[in-house]
Amino acid sequence: MNVLISGGAKNGKSLYAQQTASELADCGPLYYIATMIPHDGEDRARIERHVKEREGWGFTTIEQGKSIASLIGREDVDLKGSFLLDSVTAVLENEMFPVALKEGKPEFLGEDEEAPERVKKELVAFGSAVKEAGGSVVFVSDCIYGDSCGYSPSTEKYRRALAEADRALAAVCDKVTEVTCGITEEWK
Amino acid sequence: MILVFGGAYQGKTEYAVKEFGLSAVCDLSEGGEPDFTKEIITGLDAFASRLSAAGEDPAEYFRSRRGLWEGKVLVITDTTQGVVPVDREVRAAREASGRLMMYLAGEAEQVHRVFCGIGKRIK
Repeated sequence: MNVLISGGAKNGKSLYAQQTASELADCGPLYYIATMIPHDGEDRARIERHVKEREGWGFTTIEQGKSIASLIGREDVDLKGSFLLDSVTAVLENEMFPVALKEGKPEFLGEDEEAPERVKKELVAFGSAVKEAGGSVVFVSDCIYGDSCGYSPSTEKYRRALAEADRALAAVCDKVTEVTCGITEEWK
Repeated sequence: MILVFGGAYQGKTEYAVKEFGLSAVCDLSEGGEPDFTKEIITGLDAFASRLSAAGEDPAEYFRSRRGLWEGKVLVITDTTQGVVPVDREVRAAREASGRLMMYLAGEAEQVHRVFCGIGKRIK
C-alpha cells in the first residue's frame, strides 16, 4: 500500500509518516530514504537531529537525494519492504537546483528544466515497483500553496512542479492524508 | 452557487470541470472581468487583487451582482495561509481575496476544498 502525506511545515507529518511506515513494515524490512544532501553545518545539524529522532524505530537508512528510480533493482534494497521517503520536496529541490561542492563550498549548477517531469515519473515508477513487489512507500510532501506573495519565476516553477508531483502521486497512492497540528485528515 | 477553493496548482478548475460535468470556463487569472455566461469562473483571487488595487471591494462587487453568479461554480485560490506580506498592496489584495472567499462560502450552497487534485465537500 502506498501513502502520500502532506501538510504545512512543523505539523507532525514526519512523525505520523514514521508511524505509518513502521506499521506497514509489519516486521519486514523498514527503510528510511534520506533525501537531504547536506551543504553546510546547518544541514548537517538538521540531519543529526533527524537521525536521533529515528533512533529505536528500526529504520535502515538509504542516502538517496536524487534519482529515486535507481533504487529499483539495487541488491541491497528489498522492494518487499516498507519505505519512508521524506521528502518529495527535497528530491525535487535537489534535482531542479543541483549544487556541487567546490573546495567545501556549495556551488549552484543552474536550473535543470527537465527535472520536474523526470522526478514525477521516477517517484511514480518507484511507488509502483514497490507496490508490485508487495512492499509499500510512504511519500512525504509539503503543502506550500497558500501564500499570497509572488515568488521569483524559478521558485514559482518549483511550487508548480511540486504540486504536479503531489497530484501524480495522489492519483496512484492508495491513501492520501493531510496532517495539520498533528491531526490527520483522510483525502483518499 | 458552488464554491471551490484550495491552494495554488492543486487542480481546482480541473476538479470543478470533472465533478460537475461542466466545460465553459472563464479564467480571470491573467486579467479580464467575469463572463457570467460561463458555467465556471476561475481565478477569482487574481480578480480580487486587481479590484483591490483599483480601490474597489471585491465582496461588494459580487454582492451587487448576485443574480449573475447564482447557479455558477466559482473557483478561488486560497492565498491566506502564508506569512502576512510586507508589501502594502499585496497585503490589501490578500485580505480582499480572503474576505471575498469568506463571503462567497457563506452564500454558497456547496463548498468544496481541493487538495493534491482530490476534492472534498465541506459544506
